[in-house]
Amino acid sequence: MRVRDFLNLTGSSLIAHRMRSFLTALGIAVGIAAVVLLTSIGEGVHQFVLSEFTQFGTTLVGINPGKATTAGTSMGMFGTERPLTIEDAQALKRLPFARAVVPFVQGNAEVEAGNRRRRTTVYGAGPDMPDAFSMKVKSGRFLPEDDPTAPRAFAVLGSKLRQELFAGSSPLGQRITISGNRYRVIGVMESKGTLLGFDLDDTVYIPAARALNLFNNDTLFEIDVMYDEDTPVEKVVKGIKDTLKARHGRDDVTITTQQQMLDVLGSVLDILTFAVAAIGGISLLVGAIGIVTIMTIAINERTNEIGLLRALGAREGQVLRLFLGEAIVLAAVGGLSGLALGVGMATLLHAALPALPVQVPVTYVVLAEAVAVAIGLVSGVFPAYRAAKMDPVEALRAE
Amino acid sequence: MALHNIDVLRFSWRALRGFPSRTLLMLIAMAIGVSAVVLLTSLGEGARRYVTGEFASLGTNLVIVFPGRSETAGINPSTMMGETPRDLTLEDAQALLRDRSIRRIAPINVGSAVVSRQNRSREVVILGSNHDLLTIRHWQVGQGRFLPQADLDRASPVAVIGSKIRDELFAAKRALGEWIRIGDRRFRVIGVMGSEGRSIGVDVQESIIIPVASAQQLFNTASLFRILVEAKNRDAIETAKQFVIALLQERHQGERDVTVITQDAVLQTFDRILGALTYAVGGIAAISLAVAGILIMNVMLVAVSQRTAEIGLLKALGAAPQQILLLILTEAVMLSAIGATAGLLLGQVGSYFIRVSFPLLPAYAPAWASTAALTVALITGLVFSLLPARRAARLDPVLALSRR
Amino acid sequence: MIELAGIHRDFQVGDQTVHALDDVSLIIGDGEYLSIMGPSGSGKSTLLNLIGLLDRPSSGRYHLNGQDVTSLSDIAQAEVRNREIGFVFQMFHLIPRLTAAENVELPLIILGLSPEQRQPKVAAALEELHMTDRSHHKPEQLSGGQRQRVAIARAIVTEPKVLLADEPTGNLDHNSGKAVIAILETLNQRGITLIMVTHDTEMGQRARRRLRMVDGRISNEQNGAA
Ligand SMILES: Nc1ncnc2c1ncn2[C@@H]1O[C@H](COP(=O)(O)OP(=O)(O)OP(=O)(O)O)[C@@H](O)[C@H]1O
Ligand SMILES: [Mg+2]
Repeated sequence: MRVRDFLNLTGSSLIAHRMRSFLTALGIAVGIAAVVLLTSIGEGVHQFVLSEFTQFGTTLVGINPGKATTAGTSMGMFGTERPLTIEDAQALKRLPFARAVVPFVQGNAEVEAGNRRRRTTVYGAGPDMPDAFSMKVKSGRFLPEDDPTAPRAFAVLGSKLRQELFAGSSPLGQRITISGNRYRVIGVMESKGTLLGFDLDDTVYIPAARALNLFNNDTLFEIDVMYDEDTPVEKVVKGIKDTLKARHGRDDVTITTQQQMLDVLGSVLDILTFAVAAIGGISLLVGAIGIVTIMTIAINERTNEIGLLRALGAREGQVLRLFLGEAIVLAAVGGLSGLALGVGMATLLHAALPALPVQVPVTYVVLAEAVAVAIGLVSGVFPAYRAAKMDPVEALRAE
Repeated sequence: MALHNIDVLRFSWRALRGFPSRTLLMLIAMAIGVSAVVLLTSLGEGARRYVTGEFASLGTNLVIVFPGRSETAGINPSTMMGETPRDLTLEDAQALLRDRSIRRIAPINVGSAVVSRQNRSREVVILGSNHDLLTIRHWQVGQGRFLPQADLDRASPVAVIGSKIRDELFAAKRALGEWIRIGDRRFRVIGVMGSEGRSIGVDVQESIIIPVASAQQLFNTASLFRILVEAKNRDAIETAKQFVIALLQERHQGERDVTVITQDAVLQTFDRILGALTYAVGGIAAISLAVAGILIMNVMLVAVSQRTAEIGLLKALGAAPQQILLLILTEAVMLSAIGATAGLLLGQVGSYFIRVSFPLLPAYAPAWASTAALTVALITGLVFSLLPARRAARLDPVLALSRR
Repeated sequence: MIELAGIHRDFQVGDQTVHALDDVSLIIGDGEYLSIMGPSGSGKSTLLNLIGLLDRPSSGRYHLNGQDVTSLSDIAQAEVRNREIGFVFQMFHLIPRLTAAENVELPLIILGLSPEQRQPKVAAALEELHMTDRSHHKPEQLSGGQRQRVAIARAIVTEPKVLLADEPTGNLDHNSGKAVIAILETLNQRGITLIMVTHDTEMGQRARRRLRMVDGRISNEQNGAA
């Protein structure tokens, strides 16, 4: 039998029972639409989170004091015995692959300008910071290349803090007080928005050495190293490890590469997306049962037709393929309309809620259609096999 | 003229029995939908109960004080682990006990240090705290006793160790009364934590608890990581919180530089998030109920057209359109009711097996989910069969009988 | 040439065995016109189905054109049915959603011919049955006699050597029935072997060779004009 004839025969029987075919395909369509919509949301969240993280660049390595515990968190932040110092940061800067090295201290203090005051996050950082985290200075400049151990009392404001303290007037050159110490504002950063709910603009940047003093601390929170893209990450990690081991006498830091973090994050989000898709897939299962049911009914109704086809010389295989074809077409059409439905709803959702990231993943789209066809195949096999195995004499005698 | 209900039921039942395979398939479809809703919501509910249980195990009527505060959001990384110019001190902690709304407090200091005994050593999380920590956190001591009742600022070289630490440092030997070295100081083991000491964040079994003043000496700091405050009772929680804020502001020269959260607030947040998640998951699963509804509608339409002659005959015998409608609707509702009940049972059995396989997860399907799944199943069955039933009711008896 | 020797066909119904055909031996030459009559349940249809390779005998041998067809595979049998045998049924068995022409086209589609190859054959078959002007009608738009003519067109479109008709007039009024028989006889005169089961004595008597079946056996055979 020719392919076109095959399709014609299949199509004619589906069209003959329009309502029935429509409802059967609708079942699959709803299932596919659910899966497509849910994975779109999942993928959107995935992309959103990744882009939030990669905005800082992917060639970053973070070094924290203390060895990681089994729980996975570094205990260094609880005040370790072996501090990570500004001198350590300087030593790392001498590594050939280190493009930027940022010593980091983080804390919380009250900032005063004139009669305005605000409690905010204080970052002790180094001059390489805008480079390493691809941050942009909006006006003025970032912290200069002073002697890292005795830097001048300069401060750079985040955009939100600038609004809060200097609404309307220019902050450049103004004096602010951070916990009683006076600083001069030399720059304002461009807005970075929020990262996972944390406002990155409600901050002030001061030299790391001064922050250590301010918080009366002897260890940095973290040193961030941005390395040359061409250097393999293993080499970077080893270089850092060796340098610090030489300085500390033992291996007492935790090194986290951005790539590692992204990988872990990515796989967690993938699992989530998959889980959500699987729950949506239950509807697909029910839709598949719908195909089985309708095909079973169709074969009962068309027993005579099956007998006739056999009498006219059709082989079992041909009968099987005919009915299988019907099931597959039903599922494929349902799948396609489900795709359109899902993508349409995802687009609408995106239009209605721009905050909710929605991204229709092409692989999932292709996969969804393949799944639909596979569903047609699987759910059609049983009824079609029954049709093919019918005794032609019996089939012709049936009422 | 009215049909007896029992006759309607019997008629519908016979009609369903007449096509066993399609009836079975529709039942399966409905059952899958309902059991998916029941099973998934029971998972969600299990997770919710597990997490709230974990939080409850942190202690009761708990208020937690962190150093540092940001005006942007209640809690952010800088308040959780950042530094502040002015520390929380032991005196701050001691002062908190002045209010009647506060029953007990536990100052906490955390650090890590290398702990050694003879030739064994490893890095361990050290918790500095006081006697009341045990009661506040509902922990149990396995052997020996907990930190003694003493002034907060008195350092003493005693340590309570987690059971894993005991196993690693002492293996099978007796630990009580033995000396261990933490950093460059010597401590005597006075107790071993019971195995149920489990909490979010720090694994008690892998840590060592020493008096807070000793911890401050060990880590050479005067500051505290946080202070746990237990209010007298549930109603006193808010009073206690306000008192803590006011007192510390007064002690810190009028500056409000601490973050105070209540356990209730955290608990409610988690409760809300996981509750919403359960609803969402249940809702997604319920889409399959709609698909099952479509299937029932489809099959009932087919049944009506297949039974055209039969319906024509019924009309010829004097059945009113409403009676035909009733017959078809009863058939559909019977289908979805049986399917839904089967699904409910399946879901309950499934969540039972989840509970057996993962005893930590109290996976009980919430009553609303079971009820909603059943109701939705019945309503979809009813609504989706309206069209076929009306088509049947409106059949022209002459045409219906003459066809074929 | 159809050669049946010692054919048995048993059906198992519960613990009871029905001997639908009980030792039937029969030789039918090419171009013969054979009618089979007999009471209901005597095995007429069973015999016809066996000849048409829709069914296999429980025992006995069947040679079609010298070839032993009982041992053929299902697929090979299907091909023989498609090429060598045409069926005409009492119930017509037209597919309701297809037009007359499409119904006639079906065996050629199964055979795998291209549309260009099929078109003239379909047209010729319909022409032969005087149904050309109805070729785009659906079965429900045709009368019983017309439906049977379409079914006959379908049976002969592959130019088979054997035409099997099981009560072809059973669902038709007397006049339409006679017209259908006339068509079948015309086909027979052009060389096709015609084997027809009928309950209608008048029609049955028209065949040159007449079999009578009782209880699964050939009870009597008549030859020549009645
Ligand atoms: N599939 C079957 N299973 C059991 N018994 C069968 C089957 N097919 C035919 N029979 C039996 O075989 C016998 C012959 O049946 P057949 O259909 O050949 O009769 P017939 O001569 O064609 O009758 P009619 O004139 O009524 O069509 C009958 O007794 C019938 O009951
Ligand atoms: Mg018969």
